Amino acid sequence: MSVENIKYQAIDMQKINAAEDDDLFYFVDNNTLESEKITAPRYSYWRSVFRTFFKKKINYFILGFLALILLLTLIYPIFAHYNEFENVAQGVTYNMSPSAALDYFGFSFKYILGTGKNGNAIFDGIWAGALTSLSLAIVCAAINMILGIVIGAIWGYNSKIDTVLTVIYNIIANVPWILLISVLVYIIGGGFIQFVFALTVTGWLGIAFFFRTQVMIIRDREYNMASRCLGTPMIKVVQHNVLPFMTSVIVTILATELPSYISAEVFLSYIGIGLSSEIPSLGRMIQNAQDAFIQFPWAFWGPVAVSAAITIILYVLGQNLADASDPRTHMQ
Amino acid sequence: MEKKENREVILSLNHIDITFGKGRKLFKAVSDVSFDIYKGETVSLVGESGSGKTTIGRAVVRINPLSAGYIKFKDDIINGKLPPEEFEAYKAKIDEKIKAVNEEYEPKIAADPNNKELIKEKNNQIKLLEETLSCAKGKIPYQKRREYIRKIQMVFQDPTASLNERTTIDYIVSEGLNAFHLYKDERERVEKVEKIIQDVGLLPEHLTRYPHEFSGGQRQRIGLARSIVMEPEFIVADEPISALDVSIRAQVLNLLKKFQNERGLTYLFIAHDLSIVRFISDRIVVIHLGKIVEIAETEELFNYPLHPYTKSLMSAIPIPDPILEKSKTLITYDAKDHKYGPEENPQLVDIGHGHFVYGNEAEIANYKKIREGK
Repeated sequence: MSVENIKYQAIDMQKINAAEDDDLFYFVDNNTLESEKITAPRYSYWRSVFRTFFKKKINYFILGFLALILLLTLIYPIFAHYNEFENVAQGVTYNMSPSAALDYFGFSFKYILGTGKNGNAIFDGIWAGALTSLSLAIVCAAINMILGIVIGAIWGYNSKIDTVLTVIYNIIANVPWILLISVLVYIIGGGFIQFVFALTVTGWLGIAFFFRTQVMIIRDREYNMASRCLGTPMIKVVQHNVLPFMTSVIVTILATELPSYISAEVFLSYIGIGLSSEIPSLGRMIQNAQDAFIQFPWAFWGPVAVSAAITIILYVLGQNLADASDPRTHMQ
Repeated sequence: MEKKENREVILSLNHIDITFGKGRKLFKAVSDVSFDIYKGETVSLVGESGSGKTTIGRAVVRINPLSAGYIKFKDDIINGKLPPEEFEAYKAKIDEKIKAVNEEYEPKIAADPNNKELIKEKNNQIKLLEETLSCAKGKIPYQKRREYIRKIQMVFQDPTASLNERTTIDYIVSEGLNAFHLYKDERERVEKVEKIIQDVGLLPEHLTRYPHEFSGGQRQRIGLARSIVMEPEFIVADEPISALDVSIRAQVLNLLKKFQNERGLTYLFIAHDLSIVRFISDRIVVIHLGKIVEIAETEELFNYPLHPYTKSLMSAIPIPDPILEKSKTLITYDAKDHKYGPEENPQLVDIGHGHFVYGNEAEIANYKKIREGK
């Protein structure tokens, strides 16, 4: 058989098949509305944030650890009733190592880390101090964040305020921070509220300045002009066009601010210009233990480890949350 | 087309200047631009990048303030203020109108002194006239400002940047409705939004989606929907299709045409190339470096391009034939070629057939000759 003959046959076969194909297939119209359909799953901002956050397995571990620390910090002091001078009458209890303390008092969590120089229980002291540090950090961060964000948003929007506030910022930002706080603590005293005041009186300025820059970037985008053309009031523009874009920025600031107040308290108490002596705090415990920390290391390393753990956990958690709240990470 | 005299001027630009910066940094983006836009027509503003087209468009929606001249929408001045020499005459005219209103209502009120409706009506009319006068001073009362925000809408160039990425389409389309509360209850708002989203060829199910899930053409249609839903009278379309793929440009242009036919809208269409403009516009304004160089009706301009800049724009239109396209000569234009002397005062002159060209006396005479075919 020649090649042409084979071709001829093949065409014939196609013709026969075509008759049957009519029953097998039907014609699909070109529907324009059909082509507009979106088949992708619905997008929800917060659901995507949580999905991205929990995709990292380490976050489960960190959250667990944070829960443990929060439990010990917030709940444990209620039952423990820490008193630094509880055993001050018994001279033998001063600076006892963990094993000696457990032998002397019998087994209890209270003395698991030994005693300090007044016979105080280190373990109880750490959590009482952590409660002070954590509440100080939360109060300061809340005040500074609210002031900073509100003022920063107005600062970014209003060019008249901008020049005035920038000058104020430049002056205050150049005053050494330690100097300012030590002077303030000397003048108004070292109580909890006074200390909060000292940390927040200028603390919001830095946040406001950072926030102002972020707002300025968002402010000049075209959709804001569109909102203006649609007659949307300013408050709604800020609420819908600016703040949603700031979520990841706010979480990032919070992630650095919250731990920074804890370390600030520890640092200031350690150098002796922090909270007054009747308030238990991690910084003061470290300060009390540091002069003899070669001899009695347990009184020093306990509070150092806990303050470091709280700071690091809050920081890592905040950073991971900030990453997850950035919509650019939501695409898989 | 109707005779010009019978048509209502909806927007009129009078000798407007727009400058940016101060002192040595002063930059004049637009100088001495005047033209009228009639109700129901599409006027295209064509020119290269940086010629001030968008600046003019933004001045119309009152984003850019004027440094001289004024823009009048219907009866009121919406941007800039009347020059002092014209103000007296304007004031006298308004005073006369107030007097006429007084005269009209006084006998009626005298006949029926207890009719509060009548007094209210009269006071309302006088208040409106006083507000018009206040607009002429550059102080627009709040109510009027809101009214003109609603009536003059804008469609933006970049569909990616002009939609808020963090809100749903429902919020974006009803943003203007919410700002002016243009509905009685929630049901009416939903109805309006669903109607407009279908009018632009999208589906109601898209309302719960976010802008990043849409294509460029779809986004531009959403941008169009949020303007149209406000029921405006005038739309500034700032290069609405230049960011779009060529294959979907027609879609958006057809929608613009459709809405114009249905609702009697007037467009100021800003574009940088003439090929699209021919399809959509009734008249074309060619602008170069902030100055108008030519105004004419579309076919008139395409048949008799007179100003060298218009000619150069025309020569830049691609021809869909590779052989012709290759042999085509491009005309380049340099404003310095005119060599205007210091005494010469080039102006925008009417040379007949509704055709305005910018030039000095010699040039105008020449243009007239070319136009009449001599």
